[in-house]
Amino acid sequence: MEPEALAEHLNLVLEGLAIDHPAGTRVTNLTRLSGGANNETWRFTWHETPLILRRRPFSAESVENLDGNILGLSLVDEAHIIQLAAQTGVPVPHIYTVLETSHPLGESFVMAFIPGESIPQQWLNASAFSAARKGLAYECGVALAQTHTVDCSKLPQSIKPLTLAHRFNGIQRRLQIFGDVSPAMQFGLNWLIDHAPEDVPCVLLHGDFRTGNLLVHEQGLAGILDWELAHQGPPAEDLGYLCAHVWRFGNIEKPVGGFGEYDDLLAGYSSIAGWAPDLKSLKYWEIFAALSWGLVCQTMGALWHSGSGDIERAAVARRRSEAELDLIYLIDAWEAG
Amino acid sequence: MTELDDLITATEVTSQELLQAVKGFLAETVTPALNDRDQFNARVAANVIGIVQREQALGPRLLALDNAAFRKWIPDGSPDQDVVPQISQALAKRMIKPDTAFLDYLKERQLLLSAINNPRYANRAIAAEKWRYLTTDTDSASDIR
Repeated sequence: MEPEALAEHLNLVLEGLAIDHPAGTRVTNLTRLSGGANNETWRFTWHETPLILRRRPFSAESVENLDGNILGLSLVDEAHIIQLAAQTGVPVPHIYTVLETSHPLGESFVMAFIPGESIPQQWLNASAFSAARKGLAYECGVALAQTHTVDCSKLPQSIKPLTLAHRFNGIQRRLQIFGDVSPAMQFGLNWLIDHAPEDVPCVLLHGDFRTGNLLVHEQGLAGILDWELAHQGPPAEDLGYLCAHVWRFGNIEKPVGGFGEYDDLLAGYSSIAGWAPDLKSLKYWEIFAALSWGLVCQTMGALWHSGSGDIERAAVARRRSEAELDLIYLIDAWEAG
Repeated sequence: MTELDDLITATEVTSQELLQAVKGFLAETVTPALNDRDQFNARVAANVIGIVQREQALGPRLLALDNAAFRKWIPDGSPDQDVVPQISQALAKRMIKPDTAFLDYLKERQLLLSAINNPRYANRAIAAEKWRYLTTDTDSASDIR
């Protein structure tokens, strides 16, 4: 959809919302933000209020064979999850309205714009953010523990508890659908099956809690973005995911997202939950996260082959080799003790 | 060699040179003229050409490595079909014991693939240092940026 048409539809939506505006207000400063391979994110201003629109530009039916949560929740369900997370204290933007697939804008929602920096390269190394980085791992631990306290009985139907065995089966099926092109990912899946934890509790997970989905201001954590991969699973999964090598943006020596230390993350988590997963279980989920990232890369390749998306998506497909390298490296390190 | 011979040699434009030319055109001419979103995609496009260049340089070694692994671990496989899926499928059926030799194959394979797809990935240098007992030397080709 062209920006002009998008703005016209937005005008009609916003006129009906309780956001202060004089008669005749029109959407201004409509800008598409870069990043986000599944959904479009637009920033704009409504009178004096900066807002964000998230919309899904393509039909998920084009990839209907790719079951599982790789493609993410519907935006309607994502909005629901964000509202539940807000109630437990997680810093998330206020959602003003949610639009169904039948709306001219397609499935989408409008939310508050939270000031802050969302591009990791802008805050990971800049001196202006040094105070923010210092407390960030602890704050991430707090936000994750708050997320994990969401009452699972309130979750949308699409977020059912899944056993690890079920998820492993889904991954195996996906590796086959994608042509069995990665011995490293198959090796990694075998290893994860053989080392799977038993009897783990099942909570709401953000599912994509990584450095690129944090909104950071100079004092610290401002918001948690992109809840489209939320699902149920063991708490350690979210923490290990944040520590995955691929999300450290080159700062490999800083295990928490390229900015923090394990101890601070776990201390923040414990301050809310009263307990924290052990380091070994985090490392198991770091390995799992490497496999997940490889699957996302494969999905991006499949989407691109189906005619959806631009060259960025084709290029992301090739980043699978990062995930594969991490899988082999991390399993090798685990086995060496 | 005559002057004409020199000229004939000089007209031979390799696929590597063509890719380099397109990459240069994208970076120097196209990118500055675009809006932010398209500039981002143009930079991605230039990177993609780098991938193709490195795959041209290292692809034959990857192929040889996979074929050797195929002969070693799947002696009764079908060599006229793609060998890599056959290796994955044998792993899925637990027909390959993931011993040190097999792990070394995977390490070499991933060092090569990383050198092709993203030689600047931070963990590549760390893994390459840790696994330096392997024979893989990918540094020359991964200099192609």
